[in-house]
Amino acid sequence: MRANVSQMLTHGASEPIMSRPDYEQNALHHGCLLVLLRGVGPSKPRSLQKAFDKVRRVSNVKINDSTGITRDIWVRYIHDHPVENNDWGDFQTHRRLLGLITIGKFENQTELNELCRQHESLKVRYSGTLYDSRAIFFGPSSAHVAENINSAGGDQHFTDASNLTIHDSVNLNSNSVTNHCPRLEEEYTTPSNFKAQAFFYREQDSCSDLESHIAEFIHALFWVLESKRLDRSREKVEKVSLLLAPFEKRDFVGLDMDSRSNRKRTVGRVTKNLADLSLQAGLVVDALGLYHSACETLRAIGDLLWLSASEEGLCSASAILLYPHLRESETLHRNTSLQDGPSPLRSTPEKWRASDATVKVHAPEHQHNSHPDAQGMASTVQMTSASSSCSSVSSLLTNSSTSGTPSSSSSTSTISAAQHGARSSELPSNILKPDELHGYYRRAIINYSKYGPAAIIETEAALKAARIMIEQNRPLDVAMFLQNIFFINVTMSEPERVKRLEVVSDLYHQIGYRRKAAFFQHLAALKYVQQGNPNPDWSQTYRLMLESFSGYLLSLDPMEVIDNAAGWPALQIDLLQGVIAAARRLGQSALATRHMTFLLQTQWAHMTPTEQSELSVQLQNLSAQCEGSPVPLVLENGTVIPPANLTDLPYCMDLVVRDLPAHLRPQRIKIVKADSGPFLFTPIHLNSMDRREKKKEKNKISFLWVQNNLSEVTLRLRNPLPIELTVSDMRLLTNGIVFESLPQTVILQPHVPTTVTLHGTPIEVGQLEIQGYSTHALGVKSNCRLKNMRGRKFPPNYLVDVIPALPRISVKTSLPQTATFSQLASSDIVITSASLTLYNGESSTCIVTITNDSPLPVEHLEISISSNVEQEVQKKIFIIDEKELQSKLPIQPNSSIDFTVHIYGEADFVCPIVSQRAASVHSNSTVTAALQADYAGATMGAGPYSLQYSTLSSSGHASLPSRVSSPNQQQTSYNRRNDPNNLSFRSSTSGGAPSLAALSLPPAGTQGSTHGYGQHVEAQFRVKYSGGEAMQQGYCRQCAISFNIELLPSAQITSWDVLPAEIPSQFYLVLDVSNLTAQEMSLNYTNNKSILIEAKESCRVPIPVDRCSLEQVVAAREAEYAENMEKDLCYRTQLLSFSDSISKLCSEHIAERVKISWLLAGTDIQGIASLHGIVLTSAMIDLTTVSPLEWTVSFQNTPVQPQSEIVCAAGQSAILNVSVSNQSAQPLRNLVLTIKFYQDYLNGMENYNLDTRVAISGPSRVSIPLLQKHAQIQHECTAIFFTPGRFKASIQCCSKPQETSTQSARGQLLEHKMPAVQVSDIVGSAASYHEQQEHIWKFIPPIEVTVIEQ
Amino acid sequence: MAVCISIIGKDNAPLYLTTADMDKELELQYRVHAALDVVEEKCQPISKATPESKELYLGMLYSTETHKIYGFVTNTKIKFVIVVDSGNIALRENEVRAMFRNLHMLYTDAVCNPFYAPGEPLASKKFDRAVQKIMGGNA
Repeated sequence: MRANVSQMLTHGASEPIMSRPDYEQNALHHGCLLVLLRGVGPSKPRSLQKAFDKVRRVSNVKINDSTGITRDIWVRYIHDHPVENNDWGDFQTHRRLLGLITIGKFENQTELNELCRQHESLKVRYSGTLYDSRAIFFGPSSAHVAENINSAGGDQHFTDASNLTIHDSVNLNSNSVTNHCPRLEEEYTTPSNFKAQAFFYREQDSCSDLESHIAEFIHALFWVLESKRLDRSREKVEKVSLLLAPFEKRDFVGLDMDSRSNRKRTVGRVTKNLADLSLQAGLVVDALGLYHSACETLRAIGDLLWLSASEEGLCSASAILLYPHLRESETLHRNTSLQDGPSPLRSTPEKWRASDATVKVHAPEHQHNSHPDAQGMASTVQMTSASSSCSSVSSLLTNSSTSGTPSSSSSTSTISAAQHGARSSELPSNILKPDELHGYYRRAIINYSKYGPAAIIETEAALKAARIMIEQNRPLDVAMFLQNIFFINVTMSEPERVKRLEVVSDLYHQIGYRRKAAFFQHLAALKYVQQGNPNPDWSQTYRLMLESFSGYLLSLDPMEVIDNAAGWPALQIDLLQGVIAAARRLGQSALATRHMTFLLQTQWAHMTPTEQSELSVQLQNLSAQCEGSPVPLVLENGTVIPPANLTDLPYCMDLVVRDLPAHLRPQRIKIVKADSGPFLFTPIHLNSMDRREKKKEKNKISFLWVQNNLSEVTLRLRNPLPIELTVSDMRLLTNGIVFESLPQTVILQPHVPTTVTLHGTPIEVGQLEIQGYSTHALGVKSNCRLKNMRGRKFPPNYLVDVIPALPRISVKTSLPQTATFSQLASSDIVITSASLTLYNGESSTCIVTITNDSPLPVEHLEISISSNVEQEVQKKIFIIDEKELQSKLPIQPNSSIDFTVHIYGEADFVCPIVSQRAASVHSNSTVTAALQADYAGATMGAGPYSLQYSTLSSSGHASLPSRVSSPNQQQTSYNRRNDPNNLSFRSSTSGGAPSLAALSLPPAGTQGSTHGYGQHVEAQFRVKYSGGEAMQQGYCRQCAISFNIELLPSAQITSWDVLPAEIPSQFYLVLDVSNLTAQEMSLNYTNNKSILIEAKESCRVPIPVDRCSLEQVVAAREAEYAENMEKDLCYRTQLLSFSDSISKLCSEHIAERVKISWLLAGTDIQGIASLHGIVLTSAMIDLTTVSPLEWTVSFQNTPVQPQSEIVCAAGQSAILNVSVSNQSAQPLRNLVLTIKFYQDYLNGMENYNLDTRVAISGPSRVSIPLLQKHAQIQHECTAIFFTPGRFKASIQCCSKPQETSTQSARGQLLEHKMPAVQVSDIVGSAASYHEQQEHIWKFIPPIEVTVIEQ
Repeated sequence: MAVCISIIGKDNAPLYLTTADMDKELELQYRVHAALDVVEEKCQPISKATPESKELYLGMLYSTETHKIYGFVTNTKIKFVIVVDSGNIALRENEVRAMFRNLHMLYTDAVCNPFYAPGEPLASKKFDRAVQKIMGGNA
């Protein structure tokens, strides 16, 4: 069956050959009556479709013939029929057009006339074969009949209605036609030359009787056919003429028709013709027999063409009996093709195979021997005899009835397909077995191929064979037959070739060869528009290409394609480009854009970078004509093209849902206490229920968004193209509550990841689902959903809870802002800042204005302060009136409130300055001058003394390097040097002297050391506020004001000492105050005294202070003792020194009383320096507190006044009377009263070795074992000065601690540690304070005696 | 000798395809792709065929005016398709068979490469050279 065989018997092109094959034909059509169903007239409205369908439905009519046998007549309606095909009517009778039905619609008489004319012209065209015709006319609806009558039909002359019924071959009951009122045919008349039967209907008519009319029409056709068949069967063998195929006409010219072989040829052909007619007339079994006999006859004489036709007929007759359900499937197919499966990629051919499993029942029956042939032979023998004897059809019928009852066989062919498995037994014996059909067809096709003009017959036969093979579920054979079709050499027009391809592809589809089908579809698509085609049809190309998608594992939905990730990328790209080109040629820019988007989206991974950028540019050009948008496109044929989104252009690397800015972030007003239990970590979750629920929603965002508050999502995008990519109109895609998304435009540079922030505002409260974002890139709008982004670990969406709107405030301060924010924790909530520079001790205020910017009132406001200083200090620095603030609430929308913050420059003023060098002379002199002036004012004339003393003390120690900063520490390091004897005016060896001595100022202009004094206080005012519905739900916002306060040093007390005052109830606090500012400072240190200090200078000021009463001391001591006992009980440590409490007490005592206010000259900057935190040594404490001893000293019976001068003569005895009384609450023990004379050289040297100059009669050292409370002891001695000069007498009382008693007291304490300590013990211990420590009480100032010559 | 040699994976995705004429690659790809239906059909488990005598060589899948297309399927359902020029009448079926056998061996070698993941397209240069040799008819 190779193609080249067909060249053997080719004839000239002039031969009448069929112009085009009827591709829809199948084997069963051999038994059908061919009826042309045509719509005529200019307009073909949809309403006529109903009529067409109604007519088509009448495809099978059962007619009782003259002998009472029911004939099953099938009709095949076709739309178009080439006249040439009728020429083959002798060869295969089913090719003849037997009937004609036209359907038309008219509005007026003229149109009706035109319809009639067309009907008639069709009749003329097929006049050679036509048996009968009908016309169906739809007139105007009754509504506008009235007008039409007047206008169009009014003057038309009415022909009698009988004219219509004249041509009724079958006596129609005319009343069914005339039922309509008003009768259309009465209003309109057909032209006189119209000789067909017509049916008139109104447009909206249900045409209920149309089917019966058509059935009637088929009846008519049948009877004509039946008569022809009977004529043929009754023909005498001698008389029959040779039947010819159209191209054979010349072959037999001049041949001897009476030769034996030609006679046989004639008979064989006539038999075949009769068989064809019988088949059409519903006598299938008869036809089988006739075909067999014809085959036999024709094979004998080698009439291959007609033999093939007979064999084909045999196959058809067998197929009609074997597969009667094929007729039904014809209509069924149409339905299935309409509703394509949802996913063409997944529909498997297996489905088709499974459905036809029943066909395989026949498989065991297969017999590969000549047995059926022999059977056929047997029957044909009978038939040849029958035909040769020219017996009637009835005799044939009786003949064949020997093998099976014809009536039953013809009726079985009508039984439903479901029963056909069991039917085989009832089939006539001469039927071809299903297996044999293949061979017969094959042979027939090979034979056809030998005749060039029969190429179309061959093509059709191959298609019919393929369809039968499909039915038999033999896909390989189908493939073979179909493949063969392309070897058939047919001269046909291009459209016909394309049609052939389409039909073949459709058949391949049916056997599940999707790829083959797609291949031919693609081929057909290309043929439609190939070069040289005069009228390329791009719409067909487009349709076919789209249809071939499934074969190449492409779906219209891009996500499906990406998920499948199968198929041949090269082919897919080529196909898609073809589709795009077709769409573009069609002018469907929207489709072209869509497909290009699809191509980029699905095939991105399979393209080279160059292709990627090329296609992207193409897409840009396409979308310039029609913008792509993510809406499904619907084609005319109903195909829906789902949206294609460029989800990866630009490529989203990550997507982060952003929390609100810290100061707008909603918080809980009351933070629920974390019930973590006593453990830092515990696996037990006390509120585990909540947590587990939260875990379920993995995509849930942990933070909240606020209604009406601009929220943001950050994307990191990468542009995979080598060109700049502009992405405009980027918005968030959300679901759930209403969300207003703001568009964003971004230009992406190639291959550089860019961060883009998308904004939007939630309008409602509830859960917001963020699904992705939409873009407008390359002219295509895309919805890029997270779930569609592959290769990244994105959740399908993000869920954000949106809470009700919260108010929003802005805060301003009256202070200037700082450039830098503080480094304190949660600095991100800071919205404004304030900076202030204060001198230590200065006060200032700051007005904070809170403005409510939101439409909600602020009903809740709470301020807390946190800073880098201690809580205590912080409280001193910042003072806010909370009550006043709360009274101003609520803050109405767009209004504001003010509140005042008082700021005080709290600092430690008592702090000696570290000096690197010895005090300069200048500074010493200043100090001295100040003191001198002071003392001068106080003592009048005692200047030399004071001068001496101060010069002595300061100069004596100024040379010492002083690195320590507090007097306490100094005490230890200088103890060694501070011999008690050195300091005549001191009461102890305390560090008072070095502390004064340490005074030194940094050299003027040394900036390096000054800048260190400034102190930064950073504080945050945290404002929690809320209002509206969100407050009810417990949410608030927090913002903060950052305060940056720079504290500049102002006055600084660098060193201090305590001196006894003139009155025992007071003492002098001597302070070295240095002005650390750059301005002159006026220092007001007592009520009415003030001093000016130059910038960077310091001066010494004495301040008289009341002494600390003994009662206070005792109370403090007892309190501390009690505390110590408690501590002792807890920690069992050694007792601490009692002096701590006293020192504290004294320090506080001083701080309370001494306030030094300062004012910077030339400015109004003023402040107060407090002495808080002053540390006193024990020697100082002794001076600070009221002394327990009261001295009364008289020299030569004159009481000694302070600063007074005593003069006596050398060689004379002078009586020195000292009396001491105990003023304290406790008795004093072990006191030693010492009197010593010495000479002060005023250069730091004191000479105690005065044996040659002074003699004391009486003890200079008296021991007092016990001095009771309020008791007084007197001691008198006499001094004789041998030489004149200036002498000094130091009188002091020293209490030596008693080792034994202290130890015993301690032992006692230790013993009593465990048991409850008795109060008496405490008191006792407290009382023994003076015994525990060595104390020296001096008579101050020392007595100065000037001895003069006698 | 051959016009096109292609290897198609289990899921009918192409693993390797080479053509003698680069210009015709797309057209040949279409043809090879269309041949897969027949290959699948022939691979259908048919009760008649005995499993032990399973023939890997599938014979000619189909022929067109210009090409003959032969198929071969391995036990792991890897399909080999060779396209031969129809005009080459001298080529006997045994030679096609031999080509398939050689190709099968080459493929096995290529797949044995530990750096090759099954299912990936074959990109080995060595394999490519060897296949080109087969295509030239001197393997």
